[in-house]
Amino acid sequence: MNLRELVDSQRFCQGLTPGQCTGLAACAGERSFAPGDYLLRQHAVADTFYLVLSGEVQIRLAVPGQGVVTLETIGPDEAVGWSWFVPPHRCQFDAHAVLPTRTLAFAAAPLRALMEQDPTVGYAVLKTLVGTLTQRVQSCRLQVLDVYAPPGA
Amino acid sequence: MGMDATLPAPWRIAWRRPESAAGDVFTWAVEPVDGTGSSFLPGQFNMLYAYGIGEVPVSISSDPAGTPWLHTIRAVGSVTRPMAALKVGEVIGLRGPYGSAWPLVAAEGGDLLIVAGGLGLAPLRSAIYQALRRRSHYRGVYVLYGTRSAADVLFADELAAWRDGGQIEVAVTVDRATPDWSGEVGVVTRLIHRAGFDPATTTALLCGPEIMMRFAVLALQQRGVPDKAIHLSLERNMKCAVGYCGHCQLGPHFVCRDGPVLAWPRLSNLLGVMEL
Repeated sequence: MNLRELVDSQRFCQGLTPGQCTGLAACAGERSFAPGDYLLRQHAVADTFYLVLSGEVQIRLAVPGQGVVTLETIGPDEAVGWSWFVPPHRCQFDAHAVLPTRTLAFAAAPLRALMEQDPTVGYAVLKTLVGTLTQRVQSCRLQVLDVYAPPGA
Repeated sequence: MGMDATLPAPWRIAWRRPESAAGDVFTWAVEPVDGTGSSFLPGQFNMLYAYGIGEVPVSISSDPAGTPWLHTIRAVGSVTRPMAALKVGEVIGLRGPYGSAWPLVAAEGGDLLIVAGGLGLAPLRSAIYQALRRRSHYRGVYVLYGTRSAADVLFADELAAWRDGGQIEVAVTVDRATPDWSGEVGVVTRLIHRAGFDPATTTALLCGPEIMMRFAVLALQQRGVPDKAIHLSLERNMKCAVGYCGHCQLGPHFVCRDGPVLAWPRLSNLLGVMEL
């Protein structure tokens, strides 16, 4: 599958015109990571929006006194990072490849400009992003609930 | 089952083993003192009675084709804590098996998806063994297991063997990662979005904390699994185990008699009701 076909196959392209998908493809590139590579680093400028095509990525946070804590694992067809969308555009977590990982990487600045300029594209991308956020928030809530703890723990 | 369904028969603890690194879960193998044979269906439970202490419902976690029967128990309450102190060779009371079973035969021909959370893997272990024995009758068999941390993973050796055996796909995730854990991190419902089953032909078997199961059902519905193909094993306050006392009543159902395995359409309007 070439880059254009990869972009066209993403959920947010369904319902968009070929021209709009061309605009999205112009922001995109394929990027691969070896195990141990970082897709995102905490505090760095959030300049890329990744969609995982294959492989596995851990979202991690360095916690003083505890070392690096893995918060969740991201797999194929899932998005990595949304700090690129929200000012001040700084990564809040590390994203670390644990398997050979292939991604579709969108350059944040032109993608934001395109979303701003064409609200239909903006809405389509946001729908994907909100879907991801909903899943992550839901997961976080369940993790916080500690549902497997013994009763009364 | 004995002549009187409410009368415990004497069974001996044949062996005992700790079941997780966390140390609060153990498995008992039990054998009837009188040597009488019996059988059970995956998903059914027994009432185990520690003489002079009390009685608790525990699912049978062993291969239904084999003996002795295994029961995997968390030492957490006023009955199960003293139970954990009983020695191999001691005699307990047992009555059962009771309740409904996983619809493993009805699931044949399609994909079988097993979603377990925490101790919920125990009632599904017998289903996994049966599915393995009849593996060619299913398209794919998927086991998705989530638990609290690496130390809480149950049946770790078997999970690894099942995964390495290549007959079933196994994914394990923990809610809280420790430095010794290199596997997946996150709630088990996330695995549902990634697993390669075919929603249209899938039968899903769920067991775990009720909240986990509710969100697992949501994830299955989002993938397109029909409601009638989703089956849950419930835990309620089962006392008599034969539908007399009503302690385990959930709306119109007695969980001990009508369950513990119930299809989602029978539960969808009940689990969200706080008072039930």
